[in-house]
Amino acid sequence: MRRLLLDARAVMASPNRNARSAVVWGRLLGIAFVVCFGTGVYSHLLQDPLPWMRFPTRPVQLYQFTQGLHITAGIAIIPLLLAKLNVVMPALAQVPPVRGVLHLLERLSIAVLVSASIVQVGTGLLNTYQWYPFPFPFRQTHNAMAYVIIGSLVVHIASKLPVIARYWRARDAYDAEGRFVADPTVGSELLPDGREARPAVGERPADEQTVGSYPRGLTGRLLRWVDGAAAPAAPAAPAAPAAPAAPAASRAERQFTDRESREVSQDAKNGAGTTGVGEEAEAGGASRPAHTDRAARSEQAGSQRGPEHDDTRSGPRQRIARRGFVAAVTAATVGVVALTAGQSNRLLEPLNVFGARQRHVGPQALPVNRTARAAGVLATATAADWTLTVVGPDVTRTFSRAELVALGTATADLPISCVEGWSQMASWRGVRMRDLLASVQADPASPLRITSLEQRGGYRATEMGAEYAADPTTLLALEVNGQTLDLDHGFPARVIAPGRPGVLQTKWIGKIEVIR
Amino acid sequence: MRAARIVLVVVGVLVMAFGASVLVTTVRPDRIWGLATWLVAAVVLHDVVLSPFVVGAGLLLRRTGRTLGAGVLVVVQTAVVLGSVLALVVLPEIAAKHHGQKNPTVLPFDYTTRLLVVEGLLLGVVVVALVVGVVRARRSPEPLVAATTNQ
Repeated sequence: MRRLLLDARAVMASPNRNARSAVVWGRLLGIAFVVCFGTGVYSHLLQDPLPWMRFPTRPVQLYQFTQGLHITAGIAIIPLLLAKLNVVMPALAQVPPVRGVLHLLERLSIAVLVSASIVQVGTGLLNTYQWYPFPFPFRQTHNAMAYVIIGSLVVHIASKLPVIARYWRARDAYDAEGRFVADPTVGSELLPDGREARPAVGERPADEQTVGSYPRGLTGRLLRWVDGAAAPAAPAAPAAPAAPAAPAASRAERQFTDRESREVSQDAKNGAGTTGVGEEAEAGGASRPAHTDRAARSEQAGSQRGPEHDDTRSGPRQRIARRGFVAAVTAATVGVVALTAGQSNRLLEPLNVFGARQRHVGPQALPVNRTARAAGVLATATAADWTLTVVGPDVTRTFSRAELVALGTATADLPISCVEGWSQMASWRGVRMRDLLASVQADPASPLRITSLEQRGGYRATEMGAEYAADPTTLLALEVNGQTLDLDHGFPARVIAPGRPGVLQTKWIGKIEVIR
Repeated sequence: MRAARIVLVVVGVLVMAFGASVLVTTVRPDRIWGLATWLVAAVVLHDVVLSPFVVGAGLLLRRTGRTLGAGVLVVVQTAVVLGSVLALVVLPEIAAKHHGQKNPTVLPFDYTTRLLVVEGLLLGVVVVALVVGVVRARRSPEPLVAATTNQ
């Protein structure tokens, strides 16, 4: 088992998989998670407010912005999460797997964080496609898991705080040649092999302890094949970076190899390799086994060695590998966002190749979530005797369409913004909600319950806070973009209010009641 | 540092506990079991399927790196990563469309064709980069093959 884990670590060794990369991608991912959490909680509270809550009605595009950001950041999380998981992969194969109770708890919290993140992002993506192949309700689970993820993220930051602080800045993480500076004092599991925090290291055979040397057996042969290292007897051929390695550098490496292998077998017998090296000591990174030992010994002897004593090609090679990785993840993030964000962003609309929605597609050039047929209102909404009932504190009135128009109409440019991320601006015309409330002698700033003609559905009846009811742009809309509302857009009348999710912009309205 | 870490752990555990309580109060127990299977499946999928695949692809790229220039490799790697992430996002979209939409404004595009076109473009980039790389390596005044076999 131990051997298997060590082999796995050898195979995973790469200049991208170090503590500094984990900090860099972790920061970006953390920002994306916090953005998603904040916008998600806002969206959730808009739909299920606590009794005392009031929300801003300006800017009218606030929800369009926050929810568009939620979906865009969520999509950006996909490549960022993959990058982060790739960077920390060697930590999966820690030796020993568990160092104690605290370490076990820490690894469990990371398991929660990783699995919940994957499920959260995956089901969130499926929700934007309106496809629900999973055996749990989306909205409640998405909401609950958001807190679990943020909580385990905070625990994760706490447990990694020394590593984060140590490798926060690039200049503390890489030497002048661009080589990763391994600091075993901060407890990172992502240092070149043999240098991570591992108390039982003394039990390892000396040649296995040698940093970055090829393991024995099949794994070693595989890695030698990959690197084209011919001498199976030499344990010190460079364990080169996984991602792009410059051929010039590879050539140079090889010229060193013979000399290196002799030196390493010497060094290995000395059993060095885990000596506590100060932060200033140059560490050879993944690829230079012998130098770390020599550096450690020379530092003990009190002599400061410059990086030029090491293989100067190693630094640039690591740097190229790292930059290649950054380029790939950046391209993936920018690409996947640019090709989908057009569903909620006007500027990116021409690039909308893979978005789940397209603006201007649908009846009256507006997308639809729930059709009249799906809502079961084909007959009731088109009935000639349709009337709207408005229930005030003391007065109840019913209005035909003509009587509503007689109250006086206004226009408002408001976006329709869906929780699934798409949004589109439209010009609505109808009766101001506060005029309607005044007609039943109700205070314009009254909380309302709005009931649709739908027979069932989670949003058949919705509530509207007083701040929206009083807003002059909140309309009982009868027309959109200069035409009578399409049946799928809520004919005969729908609500449109600034800064609210589309599911609360109730369609096919039958009754409006003042809540006392 | 120590105080900050303790505060963070306490806050984090409390937020996690709040999330768990929200879960058990809003989701039925049998549905929570369904969620648990998906959570375990996510870890297994990552650790057993995705990670070995990524490691294998990385090793292949590393072997290719012995004969080709760094610029070529960066281009190839970028195209492969972008293509993989797009496939990961769009393949479920194709499946969702196949499964049927509630109305024609949901998933309005022909995503299969669009994905094939984009992946084809990326494949073209990879092929061009590899051809350029091989030609350059052959014209190189100091043949790489000789250096490799000199070992």
